[in-house]
Amino acid sequence: MNIFRKVAALATAATLFAGFGAASAGAQTLEAVKSRGTINVGMLVDFPPFGILDTSGQPDGYDADVAKLLAKDLGVDVNLVPVTGPNRIPYLLSGQVDVLVASLGITEERAKQVDFSQPYAGIEIFLFGEKDVDVPDAAALAGKNVGVARASTQDTAITKIAPEGTNIQRFDDDASAVQALLSGQVPLIGASNTVVAQVETVRPETYTTKFSLSQQRQGIATRPGSTELMAAVNDFLTKMKEDGQLNELHQKWLDAPLPDFIASTNN
Amino acid sequence: MNYELNFAPVFANFDHLIAGTLVTIQLSFGAMLLGTIVAVACAAGKTGGPAPVRWLVDAYVEIIRNTPFLIQIFFIFFGLPALGIRFSPNTAALVALTVNVGAYATEIIRAGIESIQRGQVEAGTALGLKRIQIFRYIVIKPALRTVYPALTSQFIYLMLTSSVVSVISATDLAAAGNDIQSRTFASFEVYLVITGIYLVLSVALSGLFSLVERLAFNYPLSR
Repeated sequence: MNIFRKVAALATAATLFAGFGAASAGAQTLEAVKSRGTINVGMLVDFPPFGILDTSGQPDGYDADVAKLLAKDLGVDVNLVPVTGPNRIPYLLSGQVDVLVASLGITEERAKQVDFSQPYAGIEIFLFGEKDVDVPDAAALAGKNVGVARASTQDTAITKIAPEGTNIQRFDDDASAVQALLSGQVPLIGASNTVVAQVETVRPETYTTKFSLSQQRQGIATRPGSTELMAAVNDFLTKMKEDGQLNELHQKWLDAPLPDFIASTNN
Repeated sequence: MNYELNFAPVFANFDHLIAGTLVTIQLSFGAMLLGTIVAVACAAGKTGGPAPVRWLVDAYVEIIRNTPFLIQIFFIFFGLPALGIRFSPNTAALVALTVNVGAYATEIIRAGIESIQRGQVEAGTALGLKRIQIFRYIVIKPALRTVYPALTSQFIYLMLTSSVVSVISATDLAAAGNDIQSRTFASFEVYLVITGIYLVLSVALSGLFSLVERLAFNYPLSR
């Protein structure tokens, strides 16, 4: 009997403490960052070109550049902390980093655990192809050849929506699928916004995007309740989008302009 | 080592593997047949044709034997459309394999033809046979018998080389394996099964070749 009561009391105390601890950690983030003079930013280093390690082993890439500018905007030093896909949210929630600029896709599931800023990067997958090929919707794919990189997001998306009779040609990578499009071997391919932009530089006015297959927005994440820090991050991103700096970074790392559905989102 | 083998994803996609195996078999036999025709014609041209034909055959053989197959198949699939020549992936694969094996087999068969002693050809002329009859009865049959082992090992190599054609989205056995692997991530199991299928195909092909040898070339050697 006694032992049960003890366990129950401990559990209650632990719950209270954890709740209190998380709330206070969140509320103090911006202040803590400023008084520390350093912001700890979690980022992936295995996700080129967003997060990579440079030749001297330092984190680099689109995310690193965004993180550095964010720190500059806040007037503090940046400390880039390499995280991995599975551990990035735990790193944030346990307070080891203040924000994540870790190519974190904005999803409802994740929004229950962390707060997201407005998107700072995004990937959109299109059905892309020759101008005069008329494909208003998925049903019109029947009987057509579509090139994709095997096992890519575009492969999965097109395989899911393609009607019976669509001939999906799977190549080893995006480069081969693009090559098949350029040489006229396939009239259509599944391609991301960066690939589309590259093709349009090489052969302008030859191809058009038919319809969007999927969109992913990547946001900067903070612990829930870090309202002030989140407001600062959002202001920073709005500024970066307005003065074209984010677009420049996107051009630098992805060889394509910031996609419209990211540039035009301001909330 | 506490990896647990799980073949369920492989067997769930077995029809895909069978379809891929059939494409590999079709490509291999198609290229062997067409390649042999190309090679016999080229070897005949090289040993008995006029100078321009010999140069052409030389150029063909040297270009193909001194460049990688991967580049040849890329050239045929991605390059030729610029000249208006367009093949579907599986046809492009067949063309590339035929062109490739044709060049190697040309050299092998030429060696066989050159092993036929002049005296035999002269005997044919003395008997009043036409040139085409001499080639058909006196030269090519014993020539093929002489080089048959080299030719068949080239054919088995061709069947194994055909695993490269998935790079142009042809739907052969290796492509089927890559598809299943990329969907199920059971790479070890998938490639183990694929390896097994290629092994069975090679062994079966060897068996078939020795059967053909016994049926077609089983006459006493005169030498």
